[in-house]
Amino acid sequence: MATLAALMLAAPATAQSTREFFDEAGRRVVAPQPVRRIVSLAPSVTETLFALGVGDRVVGVTDFCDYPPEAARRARVGGPLNPSLEHIAALNPDVVVLAKTANRRETMDAISRLGIAAYGTDPRSVEQMLDSTLRLSRVVGAEERGQQLVAELRARLDALRQRLAGRRPKRILFLVWYEPLITVGYETFLFDAVRWAGGESVVKTSQEWPRLNLEEAIRLEPEYIVIAEMRAEGVERTAQDLRTRRGWRDMDAVRNNRFGVLDVTINRPGPRLVDAIERLARQLHPDAFAEANGKGWQGPGVAQEHSGPFLPLLHFPISLFHGGAAR
Amino acid sequence: MKPLTPRRLVLICGGLLVVLLAVVLLSLKLGAVPISITDLVMSLWNTAVHGAPLPSEYRLFIFELRLPRILLGILVGASLAVAGAGFQALLRNPLADPYVLGVSSGAALGAILSLVIATRATIATPVAAFAGAGATIAIVYLLGRRNGQIDSYTLLLAGIITASFLSAVIMFLMTTLTGRDLRGMAFWLMGDLSTPLPVEMKWLFIVAAVAVGFIYTTAADLNLLLTGEQEAVHLGVDVKRVKLVVYVSASLLTGLAVSVSGAIGYVGLVVPHIVRLLFGSDYRLLIPATAIGGAIAVVVADTLARIVVAPTELPVGAMTAMAGAPLFLYLLRRRLQ
Amino acid sequence: MNPGTQPVATLRGPATPHGAVRLTVESASYSYTPVGRKASAFSLEATTFQAHQRELIAVLGPNASGKSTLLRLLSGLVKPLSGRVQLDGHEVSQLEPRTRAQRIAVVHQESPLLFPMRVWEYVLLGRHPYGRTLRLETPADLDIVQQSLTLVAAAHLRDRWMGEISGGEKQRVVLARALAQQPLLLLLDEPTLHLDIAAQVELLRRLRRLAAEGRYTVIVVTHELNLAAEFADQVVLLHRGKPLRVGTPAEVYRRDLLQQVFATELDVETGADGLPRVRVRGRERFDAPQPGTA
Repeated sequence: MATLAALMLAAPATAQSTREFFDEAGRRVVAPQPVRRIVSLAPSVTETLFALGVGDRVVGVTDFCDYPPEAARRARVGGPLNPSLEHIAALNPDVVVLAKTANRRETMDAISRLGIAAYGTDPRSVEQMLDSTLRLSRVVGAEERGQQLVAELRARLDALRQRLAGRRPKRILFLVWYEPLITVGYETFLFDAVRWAGGESVVKTSQEWPRLNLEEAIRLEPEYIVIAEMRAEGVERTAQDLRTRRGWRDMDAVRNNRFGVLDVTINRPGPRLVDAIERLARQLHPDAFAEANGKGWQGPGVAQEHSGPFLPLLHFPISLFHGGAAR
Repeated sequence: MKPLTPRRLVLICGGLLVVLLAVVLLSLKLGAVPISITDLVMSLWNTAVHGAPLPSEYRLFIFELRLPRILLGILVGASLAVAGAGFQALLRNPLADPYVLGVSSGAALGAILSLVIATRATIATPVAAFAGAGATIAIVYLLGRRNGQIDSYTLLLAGIITASFLSAVIMFLMTTLTGRDLRGMAFWLMGDLSTPLPVEMKWLFIVAAVAVGFIYTTAADLNLLLTGEQEAVHLGVDVKRVKLVVYVSASLLTGLAVSVSGAIGYVGLVVPHIVRLLFGSDYRLLIPATAIGGAIAVVVADTLARIVVAPTELPVGAMTAMAGAPLFLYLLRRRLQ
Repeated sequence: MNPGTQPVATLRGPATPHGAVRLTVESASYSYTPVGRKASAFSLEATTFQAHQRELIAVLGPNASGKSTLLRLLSGLVKPLSGRVQLDGHEVSQLEPRTRAQRIAVVHQESPLLFPMRVWEYVLLGRHPYGRTLRLETPADLDIVQQSLTLVAAAHLRDRWMGEISGGEKQRVVLARALAQQPLLLLLDEPTLHLDIAAQVELLRRLRRLAAEGRYTVIVVTHELNLAAEFADQVVLLHRGKPLRVGTPAEVYRRDLLQQVFATELDVETGADGLPRVRVRGRERFDAPQPGTA
C-alpha cells in the first residue's frame, strides 16, 4: 500500500508527447509516448505483451494472468470482469489494454473517464489475432518485434495449411461443456481455431455459446469430439464419463475414442494459440504429420499444467435467480 | 418507548446522521490508496482559502473515484429503504421489499434491451432501465386494482406474477441473444455503484427527496393503515389516496435506485425492520430513520465490497445479501419469540 | 344464543333521563350488488328510528339480517339510497372524513397487528382525526389517551404490548381508542362475540355507564337476545334486511316476532323489573332404553 502511494506521488507531472490510435472497438485512444507503464486486464493480452518483449513494462495484471510465470509476479488489480479501478489508477499506467472477450465495456468506459488511455483488443479469428498483435505492438512501441513475431506465427500457420492441403476437414463437435451441452458458434475464436486445425464444427450458428440438443448432436454424427482441457487425465475422465451416458455412448466418436484436445491456452488469443492449433491438427490428421523417416512431427510438447479458470465459463451468461431479481 | 416528540425525532435522526458522516469519512479513507482524513481536510482548506491546487491524488481518488460512489450509495440506500418501508405498509406484509412488485425485473428488461439495441451507448442503459421500471409500475397498478382502488392482496399477486413473467423473458433473452455485452448485465443485476449516470446526481437526489417527501405526508396515515383498513377509514384516513401516493412514490424510488445501480438486495427488506426494532414502528420517525439507515447500510456494504478481497471488487449486492440474510433470520427469530 | 337462564344482577336505578335527539334515521335504505353477482349482497329496506344522547340502542338480528349494512349507513361509510341519516342535523355520509371521525367512532372486530405496538400507542391513534398532516401529538393528546384508558379501567395496561394482552383486555383497549376520538356517537359491531359471559356483561355495563356519564350515544349491533334486553334502551329488530320493529325491549320482544326472526322456538318471560327474558326451547326427551333392546 505504501509503495503504491509512493509510486503515485513520484509520478512526474510533466507533459508528455502523445500519439493517437484507433483501437479495435473503434474508439479513439490517446496514449502518452513512450509507453512505459502498461496495465493488462486480460490473460491473453498479458501473454501477447510478454511475447512482444515488453513484459518489463507491464506493471499490473489480473489475478488470472499466469503466463509467462514472470507475469504472475506483477501487481494484481483484480479479476478481468471486476478489477479495482483504484488499484489500476494507483499504478499510474500510460495505457491500459483490455480484451473485448474478457472485459466489460463498463470497465473500459470507467477507465477512460479517469483520463487514462484504454486500448481495447477484439480479435475474432486467428487472422485477426495476428493483426491485433501487430497493432498492439505499435501502440506499446515494439513494432519491430511485433512484425517479427507475427511473421513467425504466420509462417507456422502457412506451413500447417500446406500440410493439411487437400485433406477433407474432419467433422468435429466442440464441447465447451456437456451437462448441459454447450458448443461454440461461428463468431467465436474457437471456431476459427478449429478450422485452422483442419476441423469443422458440425454446429453452425450465430449464437456465441449455443446450447445444443443432445439428439441434434447425435444426428450430426461428428467424427471427433474436441474438448478444451489442460491435462491429459481430464480428457480421459471426460471420455469415461461420456461412455457411460445414454445417447453419448452410442455416438460413433465416443465408441471409437476419437477425442481431440484443444489446449486450454486456446482461450487466450495469444502466440501460444498457434501451438495449440498445431497440436489439435496433429490429433485430427495424424497421417499428415508422419515424416518420411517414420517419426512423428516434432512440434512443441503437450502443454504443462496451467492454473486459471476456464474462461468461456466466465463469458457464459450467469443464470439468473428465478422468480424475480435478487432479493 | 416514549411518545414521539419533535425532540426525539431530531435526536434520533441527528444521531443517525452522525453515524452516516462517520461511515462516509471512513469510506473516503479506505481503498487501494489509504488517505488520511486530516491531510485531506487541510488540503481542501488550502484550496478553498488560498486557491492552492488540489493534489492530483486527492482529485482522482476522492472526487473521481470514491465520492461519487459514496453519494450514489447514499441515494440508492435511502431510496430502497424508504421504498421498502412504504411497501411493507401498503401491502400489509412485513416480508415485502421494493422488488416484490416487479419494478426491478422491468428495469432489468429495459437495461437488457438497451444493451442489445444500443450496444455502444452505455449511457442509455439507466434511461432504458427507468423506462422499463415505469412501464412495469403502470401495468402492475392496472392489474392490482379492485373496485377502482388499490387492493393490497391483489396488488401483491399482480406484482409477483409480473415479476416472474419478466424474469422469464429476461432469461430467454440472455440465453438466445448474441450480444456480447450482456456479460455486463450479470454485474448490473448484482448491484454496481460505479455506473455512469445519465443526468447529474443532484437531479436524482431532488427527485428522490420529493418522492420521500410525498410518502412522509402519509406517514401518520400509514400508522393507522397498519392496524386495519376499515379502522383507518373510520378514523378519517383517505385510504384510496394514501395507497396511490405510497404506491407511486415507493415504486418511483425503487425504479430510480435500480436504474442507476442495478438490483441491490436486502436493503429495502431488512433496514426498516432494524429501525423498527430500535426505534419503534411510528412511520413519522421510521421514514427519515430508514432513509439514513439505508444510506449507512449501502455505503458500508460498498466500502467492504471494495476492500474485502482487494484488488477484486465484489458486487455491492453480494455484500448486502451476505449481511442481510443472516440479519433477517435473526430478526425473524426475535419476532417469533 | 346465550341461555340467559341465570338472572343477572342489575344495579339499574330509575331510567336515566335521555338527552336531545342526536341521531335521526329516516326511511334510510341501501342496496349494493357487487359485480358479477345476481342477488344484492347488502340490502336494507327503509328504516326509521331516533337515538338520543345517553341512550344505548341495540340493533338486533341474526346473521344476514342487514345489521352490517345499517352500521355502514350509520357510520357514514355509504350513502343511503333513499332517506337520510343525520347526526345533530348533518348528513353523516356527506361529512368530511376527518370531521366524521371526530364525531363517530366505530369499534370493529380488530384485525391482527402487523408490527408490535404498545397499548398507549394504539389508543393514541384515536387522536388522528385531530392532527394535521405532519403534526406530532401534543401533551393534551396524551392526556386524553390516559383518560380514555382510565374510563375503560385499562390504565394499568398502558405500557403493555398489544400482542400480550388478553381478548377481554384488548376489547377494552379498542374501546378506549374509540373514546379517544371524543365522539358523539359510538358504534360497536358485535363486540361480545369472543368474550365470556363475565366480560360480556362487564362491557355492556361499561357502555351504559359511558353513555350516561359521557353523554355518548351508543349503538351496539348484536344477536345476543338477553344482553340486548338487559342493557338496551331501544331495540331495532331486523329481519332479512327489513326493520321489523323499533322500540323498548318490552315492546319488541314479542314471542311471535322473535320466533319469526330467529327461526327457533322460544318463550318470552317478563321479569320483576319489567324487562323481558328470552327462554330457549328445544330440549328433546329421550325414553329410557327397554331392557333387552340394544
